[in-house]
Amino acid sequence: MSFLTLAALAVGLLVAAPIVAHLLRRKPPEEVAFTAVDLVPATTATAQRRNALEDRALFFVRAIAVLALAILGATPFVTCQRLSLARDGGASVAIAIVLDDSMSMQAATPGETVSRFDRAREGARELLAGLREGDAVAVVLAGDPPRVHLAATTNLDAVREAIETTTESDRGTDLDGAVTLAADLLRELSHVDKRVVVLSDLAAGTGQPARALEAPEGMKLWVPLDALQGPADDCAVVGAERQGRRVGVRLACSPAPTEEAAAPRGSADAASGRRLRLSAGDRTLVEVPFRRLDGPQDLTLVIPEDADLDPALRLYVSLTGTDAIAADDLAPVVRVGGRLQVVVVTDAAENAVATGGPPPVEQAFAALRLGVQIRPRSTVPDRATELDGIGLLIVDDVPGFTPAQRRALTTWIEGGGVLLLTLGPGAASAPLGQTFDPMVPGLVRWQREPPPGVDRDQDRLFTDAGSGLEDLAPKGRAALELEEDDETTTLVSWADGRPFALEHRMGRGVVVALTLPFDTAQSDLALRPGFLELLKRMTDTARTLGGVSRSTVGNAWTLQGFDEVRVVRLARDDSAVPLEVELAPGGKTRRVVPERAGLYALTLDGNETTRVAAVREGEVDLRPRPADANQRSDALGGVEASVDVSSYVALALLALILAEMIIRVASRRRAPSPDESDERGDPTANDEPPVDVAAA
Amino acid sequence: MGYTPAMQGAPRRPGEQLLPIEWGAITPLRLRAQLVADGAYDGVHRSRRRGAGVEFGGQRPYVAGDDLRFLDLRALLRHDRLMVREYETETERALWMCLDATGSMAFRGPAAPGAKVAYGALLAAALARIAIAGQDPVGLSFIGGGEPGRGVSVGFGHATFERVVSELECATAAGDLHGDDGEVVRAARMLDRRAARGGAIVVFSDFLDLPAEALRPLTALAAAPRALVFVQVLDPQERDLSFQGKVRLKALEGGRVVTTDADAVRARYQTALRAHNDALQAQVEAAGARWVETATDGDPVKHVRTVLRAIAEARR
Repeated sequence: MSFLTLAALAVGLLVAAPIVAHLLRRKPPEEVAFTAVDLVPATTATAQRRNALEDRALFFVRAIAVLALAILGATPFVTCQRLSLARDGGASVAIAIVLDDSMSMQAATPGETVSRFDRAREGARELLAGLREGDAVAVVLAGDPPRVHLAATTNLDAVREAIETTTESDRGTDLDGAVTLAADLLRELSHVDKRVVVLSDLAAGTGQPARALEAPEGMKLWVPLDALQGPADDCAVVGAERQGRRVGVRLACSPAPTEEAAAPRGSADAASGRRLRLSAGDRTLVEVPFRRLDGPQDLTLVIPEDADLDPALRLYVSLTGTDAIAADDLAPVVRVGGRLQVVVVTDAAENAVATGGPPPVEQAFAALRLGVQIRPRSTVPDRATELDGIGLLIVDDVPGFTPAQRRALTTWIEGGGVLLLTLGPGAASAPLGQTFDPMVPGLVRWQREPPPGVDRDQDRLFTDAGSGLEDLAPKGRAALELEEDDETTTLVSWADGRPFALEHRMGRGVVVALTLPFDTAQSDLALRPGFLELLKRMTDTARTLGGVSRSTVGNAWTLQGFDEVRVVRLARDDSAVPLEVELAPGGKTRRVVPERAGLYALTLDGNETTRVAAVREGEVDLRPRPADANQRSDALGGVEASVDVSSYVALALLALILAEMIIRVASRRRAPSPDESDERGDPTANDEPPVDVAAA
Repeated sequence: MGYTPAMQGAPRRPGEQLLPIEWGAITPLRLRAQLVADGAYDGVHRSRRRGAGVEFGGQRPYVAGDDLRFLDLRALLRHDRLMVREYETETERALWMCLDATGSMAFRGPAAPGAKVAYGALLAAALARIAIAGQDPVGLSFIGGGEPGRGVSVGFGHATFERVVSELECATAAGDLHGDDGEVVRAARMLDRRAARGGAIVVFSDFLDLPAEALRPLTALAAAPRALVFVQVLDPQERDLSFQGKVRLKALEGGRVVTTDADAVRARYQTALRAHNDALQAQVEAAGARWVETATDGDPVKHVRTVLRAIAEARR
């Protein structure tokens, strides 16, 4: 702001002039000696009271007029700052706005009080204000997983509406995926100038330094609003699990910012002195200090023995004090079982790999770091109590199930269990009385001919991760003679059309059967990337089907086989916020996406259960990713001086003058004639000074 | 307008404060009075009284009741008509001047050459000059003025004129007639005691703060018989209320304060002033006295002549 601007705005101080003049006029006039005072009529104060309202209106109008004059004088120098695109030759552009709605965007914009998300959304509005007819816009949300909020359209009103409907969330960040998705949306458009605009704090969300974003091929990547980016101090309660009287708490703290980079809403000092509190309702059970470490750390709180806990009360773990993001300072406590229990039934001797170590399944889970608890077993449980708390059961090439095992498994699966069953030579040699029915309805035979490979075109299980399966080279395969069953579908087929992977729904649970074992001596399936994708998907399925009560914010809960589903988010004060339940095409699958961390209550066909959506550990790391200089180039756009409002101010000034004239005319019409005033005058009021505020 | 601290003496009641008189263009009073008197002078004033005398004054037809001693026998014998001889004689008619020197008379507006009391003093001095030149005795008294008993006893000659002028020049304004007519009663009693029958009394005042009842002791002086003239001296600002906009007026007598919009109430004020003067004039003329209105921005010569005519009319 220049000196001239300040000088012009200083004229606005004259708004006090009418008030000062009024106060001066309100003083009694200076006394003048006179003689024939008895003959001089006094102007009474009643007239002043009658004019008081009009005078105030005049004051108001004049004060605004003075301010308008000041603004009018300053507008040649004061202009609105807004984000706008720079155009090459004035041609239409196609832009995809990647709006980061991850949890890190809830932190305050460095140097301001507004949140980063609000500033980013305001930036999106500013961008839209500068667009023209013919420009195409798409909106992608960068919270994990990336989503298309609005496909590319030239209807700018629809875009504005879409921007307004965006909300903050506690999701993780997937900027790379969002940029890729945005590029896909623009790729088919005919515009020559295509740009992906990233409105984000560029927080990596991985907890580790990340590389710069890469511009999609044939498009420009623009990262404006560098004011959004900056480190800040934040600690989060990622999860809290209770086992008996012990509550395991996982904390994650951002790398302590340097002094010069400290964010306004949080600082390194803010974390020091913070305490970890375990509470039940309004009652604090345990409160302990903790040592702030960069990154994740696990702590254990012990509930006092004398704590008489009401089972109906929910336990919460929270952090005292404040930091950059308040939403992640509180987490509900879930009982054991919060971590997905995965039971792997395999013959360790048969499934040993040549390089050593546990069987391939266990090694894969260790590599995936899915946060599951692996429990290897040598036999399939034959009692239902043994299956309690298990979310995913992986049975690798066993010679059928005994009747007791079948009963236990059937009960468990129909209650929401997920069974991954592989069929190999062992399965085909089941003794009499041991079958896989009803999990796999039909006979199982082992064919020693090498199969022709997987038909990728019909792949509904591995999708992109299934590359290479078409040249799968096992020593044989299980051949199934299936009975007609509406509940069984083929997920993946061999190239000859025979089923490779089957899905059989039983109640609330599901059975996935593969016609290859994990044994590396029989099949190279366990050595393929698709194997990891398979385990990951089964884990997700187990989590969504209720085998576990904790998942990450943003991950959808797919609820299959339920006719009535109701999901509410339970706040700390026990208030409930209902969530929208999406019904997938076909009408059998319902889908709910938790956008906020916290406790959720699910009512599934009348049965109530709770789930916890937890924040991602990496979201506390607010260090921005680097951005290339050409991604911030002024050639793409910037914050420019573009709006001159002097014409509007001038119009407002004219309107004020007109308003003053109207008020004056109305006031004069209401003012009594001098004779009337004298007749009505109160002689005792003669000494009261009349005030003509209008004259001020 | 106001008084200087140097003039403050012992604590006085409000209205008894001595107010300086702004003489303005009226000084020096002696010379100004002479100029005015010269302008108004139309020969030595002679007080004519027909009847017994030393100089033949003419004849007139006889009417029943005439003194038969003055019957002109020669005219009866020569013309056979009854005629009466008349004679003239010069008589002394004392001129008493009473000047209001109360607080309100110290007022001087921006358009006036001087304060009202100064202008009244000028008229009084001019009249004294004319009376002295006509061999008539002159006396002076004050209403108010802060020092009771001040004035000049009736006397003849230039020395009396000098005393009158000196007394007028030393005059101060003090006193509050508002609600207190004691000063007027005292002045009326003094005039009634000293002014001889057949003399003339001229009262100079603004008559603005004088209640109607307070004027009766003065109007009663005309019954003696005496030629009684009331000369109202107003400032142009009093006449026109020439203030602009909103003003807060404080009375020099009575202390009343009024805040008003002069522009808005000017017409009403002038109407009220006219009504006030008309009422006073009616009361004065009902008592056989005369009423003269002057203003300090007017021609003093013309005003003196008007007063002289009023004295003459009052004597008839």
